[in-house]
Amino acid sequence: MKKPLHNNKFTKKQFIVLIVCITTGFIIGYSYNLTKDKEKMNNSYVDQEESYREDLIEQQERNKELAEELSDLQEQIRNVEKNFAKNEGQYKDLIEDAEKLRLQLGLIPVEGEGIKVTLKDNVYDPNSTNPNDYIVHESHVLSVINELKISGAEAISINGQRLKSNSYIKCNGPVITIDGHQFPAPFVIEAIGNSETLLSSLKIVGGVFDQLLMDNIVVTMEQSDRIQMSSINNEM
Amino acid sequence: MWLPLLGLILGLGLGLLTDIQIPTVYENYLSIAVLAALDTIFGGIRANLQQVYDDKVFLSGFFFNIALAAGLAFLGVHLGVDLYLAAIFAFGVRLFQNIAVIRRILITKWEERHIKKDENTV
Repeated sequence: MKKPLHNNKFTKKQFIVLIVCITTGFIIGYSYNLTKDKEKMNNSYVDQEESYREDLIEQQERNKELAEELSDLQEQIRNVEKNFAKNEGQYKDLIEDAEKLRLQLGLIPVEGEGIKVTLKDNVYDPNSTNPNDYIVHESHVLSVINELKISGAEAISINGQRLKSNSYIKCNGPVITIDGHQFPAPFVIEAIGNSETLLSSLKIVGGVFDQLLMDNIVVTMEQSDRIQMSSINNEM
Repeated sequence: MWLPLLGLILGLGLGLLTDIQIPTVYENYLSIAVLAALDTIFGGIRANLQQVYDDKVFLSGFFFNIALAAGLAFLGVHLGVDLYLAAIFAFGVRLFQNIAVIRRILITKWEERHIKKDENTV
């Protein structure tokens, strides 16, 4: 190589070579730097993607678990509902039964169609020596009530006194005693039920009505669309 | 000999320290610029060894080649044709040619020196 003329000074050639070398070095270094950054960025992207994918998989697994849980729970609900429906039918029956029983016990006030039978003592007959021949006895009341019960009366009351299943009726001279309450004639017997059936059962030939007439008792019967009876509790 | 090496190291350091982000589109230009610069340097070395070195040709070739390559790449991007491949190809071929020439010259010189040494010793 030629030796420069001035050793302590840059020659033009050296200066140019220096500039070119610096530029080349700069370009190469910059390029390298840029590529490295890009790779790093790509790597970070890949890492991010990976983590997202893992998250996604995790979420999907969780979703699957929850879906299974959901279906399990729905199955349980279905079972419970089935049981409930079954029980509901039973409850309904039970409620109806309870209602009927209450009705028969007289625990609730009732209202409905029915008949009203009035038994009155006959007018005083001077020919008769025995007044028992023309006054209403407890047996007459009982026969009417029995007939009504047989014919399907749901509730019966005498002079407003509701009859229970365990009521007693006692002849007490001119009055009769029902569950400790005394009632004189005339006796108004009210019964709730199918009025046609009740009426016709009383009017059967040779039945209660005829017997009462034979015993010289004034009997009046009337059908009514609405008869109201209070509950036993109220009277007590 | 130490001056070009020093310049190269200085440039490398500067380039590595620079933290400017450029758009992805212009990264092609950079690769071409690298090739053009390397081509010019090796061309310069070859010319120097062949004793046909000229300052003006060297300097103008350096910048003109870079500019031309960048211009070609720019055109290619805008035309939708990968014209920068042409520049890469041309520079690549010339790079190998230059290096081959340099190698041959160096080998020849080394052999000549050996022969001289042998003659001196004999």
